[in-house]
Amino acid sequence: MLNIKNLHVAVGGEEIIKGLDLEVGSGELHAVMGPNGSGKSTLGYALAGRDGYEVTDGSVEFDGANLLDLEVEERATAGLFLALQYPVEIPGVNNAYFLRAALNAQRKAKGEEEVDSMGFLKTVREHLKALNMDEALLKRAVNEGFSGGEKKRNEIVQMAVLQPKLAILDETDSGLDIDALKLVAEGVNRLRDENRSFIVITHYQRLLEYLVPDRVHVLSDGRIAESGDRSLAHRLEREGYAFLDTAEA
Amino acid sequence: MSALIEKLLPEADVSDDGSFGALRRKAQKVLMQHGFPQRKTENWKYLPLGLLEKRTFSTAGPLTGPVPAPPEFPFETGIVHMHNGLLDPQRCRLPRGVAITGMLPSDIDASKLDDTSPADAFAWLNLARFDQGWKLRVEGRVEQPLAIVTSCDEDFEAAIHPRLKVELAEGAALTLLEVQHSEAAGLINGVLDLELAPKSSLVHLIDRSFGETALIQRTTARVSDAAEYRAFVLDGGGRLTRQDLMAELDAAGASASISGVAALGGRALVDYHTAIEHLLGRTSSRENFRILADDQAVGVFNGRIHIVPGADDSHSEMNTGNLLLSEDARINTKPELEIHAEDVTASHGATIGQLDDDARFYLRSRGLTDGQAIALLKYGFAAAVFDGMDAGALKEWMLERLEACL
Repeated sequence: MLNIKNLHVAVGGEEIIKGLDLEVGSGELHAVMGPNGSGKSTLGYALAGRDGYEVTDGSVEFDGANLLDLEVEERATAGLFLALQYPVEIPGVNNAYFLRAALNAQRKAKGEEEVDSMGFLKTVREHLKALNMDEALLKRAVNEGFSGGEKKRNEIVQMAVLQPKLAILDETDSGLDIDALKLVAEGVNRLRDENRSFIVITHYQRLLEYLVPDRVHVLSDGRIAESGDRSLAHRLEREGYAFLDTAEA
Repeated sequence: MSALIEKLLPEADVSDDGSFGALRRKAQKVLMQHGFPQRKTENWKYLPLGLLEKRTFSTAGPLTGPVPAPPEFPFETGIVHMHNGLLDPQRCRLPRGVAITGMLPSDIDASKLDDTSPADAFAWLNLARFDQGWKLRVEGRVEQPLAIVTSCDEDFEAAIHPRLKVELAEGAALTLLEVQHSEAAGLINGVLDLELAPKSSLVHLIDRSFGETALIQRTTARVSDAAEYRAFVLDGGGRLTRQDLMAELDAAGASASISGVAALGGRALVDYHTAIEHLLGRTSSRENFRILADDQAVGVFNGRIHIVPGADDSHSEMNTGNLLLSEDARINTKPELEIHAEDVTASHGATIGQLDDDARFYLRSRGLTDGQAIALLKYGFAAAVFDGMDAGALKEWMLERLEACL
């Protein structure tokens, strides 16, 4: 699904990702953990193609295509979804309108028929209900006036509607209470299947109690410093990131 | 500015038709004495009137050829069609409760026009030169909106001075829709007076866009006891557009709101001056105006709120937000609050910014193209101005018009 080789990414001239290798197979969920400033969010933005995140070396193959050749929206249409750590507020743009426009833009780009309003609303209402979100949020401007938890859950609603092949969740668990965390995890688990992969960027092992990862990676100073199964997350929870220094020494 | 006097007010051409003679003579005298505004005239400093000096204005004649039909609306509406500045009686369709008559000298109050400076020169010019003046009288609650449609021939190059008064009787209610579109290199110098009697209500929608046509429009709403004036403006730009929009709250309980958006591109130059006068206490007002300027467009918004001594317990709120969409576009915005009363609330805010890169990326990351993302962000920014409109066909129509402008 995703094959990253020797990725180097600079932001504002400063190299943040310094030779990262990562392979995520179809249907797999990989957790990426690491201390602040290790490059976790930079990895998400670079994969999504954000301006200012300059890939200076390396390659990224996504579902058979060279991801780095694609524009931001082409990556989305190819099936890549980034749930933002800080979802953006867009005043004046109706949440339902935006989401339907996004879905139809992707469908159109793929040569598929656009969805009608009724069919769209039926689907999105089901996802909202599953995430315990008020339907009224559909009529409000995108993320405007949403609580932190609502913004994060709104990202999961978008993901559920857009049905990506690879979803990167950038600290979607941060700022969530335990009930919201479970709802988000359930939302992700509902989407898990053999054709869809996830990269879950998180600081805490807590989320991984509900989202069982196939692999856990620890990012440090722009590289994968350690990889393992879910027991690695438990170790981090117990010992923190101090062992990285020992390992690197 | 004498060149402009010669073009717009040739001395021998001032009509003196008897009934309006005294007003016209006074207007001419003020104009001859003070001329037209110049760059140093504070409220006109952003408007390049020199552009009018370069033009040659023909004399407007009567409607002789076939008059094009006014646009269709996706809702039932009455129509008053003004073509080349003249009433098109064939296309006049008034809703029940509205009557139209010719204007009388007693319908004109020039007492508040400044006769000591060039500041109100175009209003004086209208008085000196208007051809037809019409008055609409509104009784009761009129269910159907009334559209005042302004159009001009494609080769229309005259200066015209339309004058209209809308009088709402006590308790009357109307939705007035001004639709103004014209491309030719003429000048429309219009005056619209709105009189709202106690407990009346006027929703005033303006949908306008011009090509080379210059528009200089002065609109004054006099709002009485417990009456409500609500204006919603959508301006798609023009080569030279100036709108003075004033509301005078002259009795307790009077309220006014002005919400507007100017979506400008090309070489458009649009200059809005709003003024809300709180002349008595317990009056309230709200203004929200947004400009989006792309290409080499210039947008100006000057919003003034004046609370006079003794107008206690008045409340006003003004916001102006502006979006610069290109390096060559310019926006000048100035909220002006002048408060002389006690126990009032008055707030204002003004911002000028650019499209938010974070939002643009966010939308693109969901599959929208950059063009779609920009259009959606512009729409979201502008559409918020119409949040205060009642839901329904008119609001949907305004939002569709907005989408077409962006």
